[in-house]
Amino acid sequence: MYYKIIRNDIAKSKLISLTTMIFVAVAAMLVALSAILVVNLSSGLDTLMKQAKTPHFMQMHIGDIDTTRLQEFATKNSNVEDFQVLEFLNMDGSQITIGNRSFASNVQDNGFSIQSEKFDYLLDLDGNIINAADGELYVPLRYMKDNDIKVGDKATISGKPFTVAGFLRDSQMNSMLSSSKRFLISKDDYAALQNLGRTEYLIEFRLKDLSKLSAFETAYTSAGLEANGPTITYPLFKMLNALTDGLMIAIILGVSLLVVAIAFMCIRFTLLAKIEEDYREIGVMKAIGLPVVDIKKIYLAKYAAIAAIGSVIGFLCSLLLKGLLLENIRLYMGESGNSFIALLFGIAGIALVFLAMVTYVNRVLKRFRKISAAEAIRFGTSQEQKINTKKFYLSSNRLFNTNIFLGIKDVLARKKLYTTMLTVLVMSAFIIIVPLNLYNTISSNNFIKYMGIGNYDMRIDVQQTENIAYKTKQILDAINNDNSIAKHTVLTTKSFKAKMEDGTQQNIKIELGDHSIFPIEYSTGRAPASQHEMALSALNADELSKKIGDSITLIIAGKEKNFTISGIYSDITNGGKTAKAMFADHSTNIMWTVFCLELSDKALMEDRMTAYASQFPYAKIAAIHDYVFQTFGSTIDAVGKASRTAIAVALFIAVLVTMLFMKMLVAKDRYAIAVMKALGFTNADIAVQYAARSVFVLIIGIVIGTLLANTLGGLLAGAVISSFGASSFTFSVNPIAAYLLCPLLMSCSVLLATILSTSGAGKIKISDHIKE
Amino acid sequence: MKKIIIGEHISKTFGEGQKKHTVLKDVSVEINEGEFVAIMGPSGSGKSTLMYALSGMDSIDAGTVSFNGMELSALNEQSLAELRRTKMGIVFQQPTLLKNLNILDNIILPAMRNNRTSVDNIKKKARALMKKVGISELEKRDITQVSGGQLQRAGICRALISNPQILFGDEPTGALNSKSAQDIMDILAEINAQGTAVLLVTHDPQIAARTKRVLFMRDGEIVNDLHFNRFNDTNIDSKIDKLMVEMREIGI
Repeated sequence: MYYKIIRNDIAKSKLISLTTMIFVAVAAMLVALSAILVVNLSSGLDTLMKQAKTPHFMQMHIGDIDTTRLQEFATKNSNVEDFQVLEFLNMDGSQITIGNRSFASNVQDNGFSIQSEKFDYLLDLDGNIINAADGELYVPLRYMKDNDIKVGDKATISGKPFTVAGFLRDSQMNSMLSSSKRFLISKDDYAALQNLGRTEYLIEFRLKDLSKLSAFETAYTSAGLEANGPTITYPLFKMLNALTDGLMIAIILGVSLLVVAIAFMCIRFTLLAKIEEDYREIGVMKAIGLPVVDIKKIYLAKYAAIAAIGSVIGFLCSLLLKGLLLENIRLYMGESGNSFIALLFGIAGIALVFLAMVTYVNRVLKRFRKISAAEAIRFGTSQEQKINTKKFYLSSNRLFNTNIFLGIKDVLARKKLYTTMLTVLVMSAFIIIVPLNLYNTISSNNFIKYMGIGNYDMRIDVQQTENIAYKTKQILDAINNDNSIAKHTVLTTKSFKAKMEDGTQQNIKIELGDHSIFPIEYSTGRAPASQHEMALSALNADELSKKIGDSITLIIAGKEKNFTISGIYSDITNGGKTAKAMFADHSTNIMWTVFCLELSDKALMEDRMTAYASQFPYAKIAAIHDYVFQTFGSTIDAVGKASRTAIAVALFIAVLVTMLFMKMLVAKDRYAIAVMKALGFTNADIAVQYAARSVFVLIIGIVIGTLLANTLGGLLAGAVISSFGASSFTFSVNPIAAYLLCPLLMSCSVLLATILSTSGAGKIKISDHIKE
Repeated sequence: MKKIIIGEHISKTFGEGQKKHTVLKDVSVEINEGEFVAIMGPSGSGKSTLMYALSGMDSIDAGTVSFNGMELSALNEQSLAELRRTKMGIVFQQPTLLKNLNILDNIILPAMRNNRTSVDNIKKKARALMKKVGISELEKRDITQVSGGQLQRAGICRALISNPQILFGDEPTGALNSKSAQDIMDILAEINAQGTAVLLVTHDPQIAARTKRVLFMRDGEIVNDLHFNRFNDTNIDSKIDKLMVEMREIGI
């Protein structure tokens, strides 16, 4: 019997049932997709890191190395399972040409390696350990897409010819966020190239117990071993690998939660409207003694049917779509062995959506108990509706046209009814603006200020070379004579010994120079302003457990010197552990120098870059825009894609809900519409009244949505951004897009939806609805 | 006397095929300026349909209805709406006031449609009407806070706000008790005395007896057109008796 009742009921309200079903399907699809993606990402990542045997602790080092001492440390430390030192032959990008493309403008540290023997393997696309033959070059996977390189391409490295034999997955350096990329060549080729680049060492450890990683880190640092370079640990590798796709999953999950919420509201609204419609019938059923449970069952069964069909459709869609979204994960991490588990998680996610729907419908139906049989039969409608007509009278209205007044009045009088539409519009505005702002923020040049990089046009790095001081001086002279440069500063990085509270010493790399020329964002405090101040990166401050105002002792040329911590900032450069100060020092060797330049005319960029590159072949010159693009490019792309999807989804939702809402409103108000027409209001008048309702709710919705997006959304996005390592953060908003174009787009869509869906109001016949 | 409405050979059918049902069969009727007319007849006789056809609120299948010489079927939706707004007043059985507005706002609504600059004059007019029907003190009330009789009076004020030529009433007293019903009829009689034509649909001889002319309908046709003043009727009871006789003859 239920089947028949449900079928009839769904057939009678096709549009509403269909819309509800679509929402359930979309919600189910998104939840399933995020579940499938999460499982694939984490298991793909696990598989990759297992196959490759990613090191648990890695210290990069430039300079002399004492392998015996390291071996000794490894043997003594009970937690070390395996230890090795790999060589990484760093080569300037200008020496690398693949196909017809030079890597001269590439900002990554590109280098060459041979296949490792013990762990940290470089894998091919099937997850096998690659053995490179002489003359073969294996290229980091990232360059396959970004630089359009194909197998069989000819390559030249410092004049030596190679053939691209394949692509490699590097569990350490896959991500564009990690600043180095390893190419794989054979041992013989490596030996031939060895003197043409600069050797860096990767000191790598595998631990028996990964949970004791931080203890091991401390042990390594306090042993005073080689540490001239960034330190990277297993969790950081994992995070770097997961970030880009993780961000996409986070956005999908966020959107899916919102869609579930909207589906709930749709159900609530249609259900309440339906109860209103069936009020008298329900009263009669109650009056003749049918138990409320039976009545509830009919409604519950209907929505369970809709939710079930929606869930199944959503699941099928997710299966169709997952390939598209898994592409990236598959490429960079390989096939996940857990496709069955992923499927189970997807189904579990959908079951959750289904259960939530049914529980929710059950809760809304509780109001059946409140229906009084007598009232229902006598009046046929609920009498509980409270009308609020205070303070806004037609008789004292001089501001609005009467139709607009009636529209606004209706919204004010039936606030509860319009809450549904308002909430949906607020959410839509939120879904549109937050990802858009996030995208704008991370794609703006300013964003790097949160990453420990000032906002300048061009940088010149002098590192991994001999006689840095002299070369720096040469470049500085050239810059001083170059009148196309508006502002510049030189930052010199040196390694110092810091004295810890327990008396031990630790290496700390400090960037010396004037930090006020291209300021970065400090999460707390400010840049060092005197000889006795120092700013620490968040990671360093954490590790050294220093706060603003604390003092830190350095040992410079044998003497202890105290500094006050003036500020703490986020940094993603050099492994995140950096410090900034402005004292003069001549006692210690320079590790590297960075020139930051601002041009008086940005159009000169290309020209200046070429000029400096040819004048100073040992320096690495990069436009900061390229630097950002190459480092964050894929992340920015992913967020941009998510943002565009979010806009489309939000508009779709706004339009659909508006249409649904307005259609139901017209159905609900058909009597009032008939009265209006009898009084001499034209169809156009009524259309204007409905448009006014829509626009009024729309304006409130957009305002609230925008405010929320900039406060709550800022916090949310801040949480996402902090996973990049930036701890303090504010949106950089593109006002034209966020406050003009998007609201305009939304307004037009909603208005159009209103006009389309209320056109039926004109067809309402007076005699059908008033005549006795 | 000037004719306001001329209906000629009006026919209207509802439904199709087997369920086809003719409600008006070739009906012709004229309503003159300042007349006070009731349409009587049993349920389903077509009396309401006739009134809706004459007021242009419902379409007809054949025949013509002209209002002040303008043929209604030739008017577009906007002109028809304007005609209702400016020349006609309409009162329904249920007080069809809008829930969102208070009593005063409901009354002035039709006049405010495109005339909000003269809101003060409109309010003055509304207050005068409210005083006339005895609901002066209710202007700020919500429509849920007053009785059915009071709502119907407010409805009459709304119908009269634009000084219509004719007032239509679809069983305007149908939902009221007999005391309230007679009060409403007193008001309608007074309005009529001041020159506004009134056309009522009713099945209650007590109500019809207050008018000056009664059209009897049965099965979609006007079967009798009774003019009380021809017989110099003044006494209500004798008018009711006359109506009862007529109704029995027709078979109501």
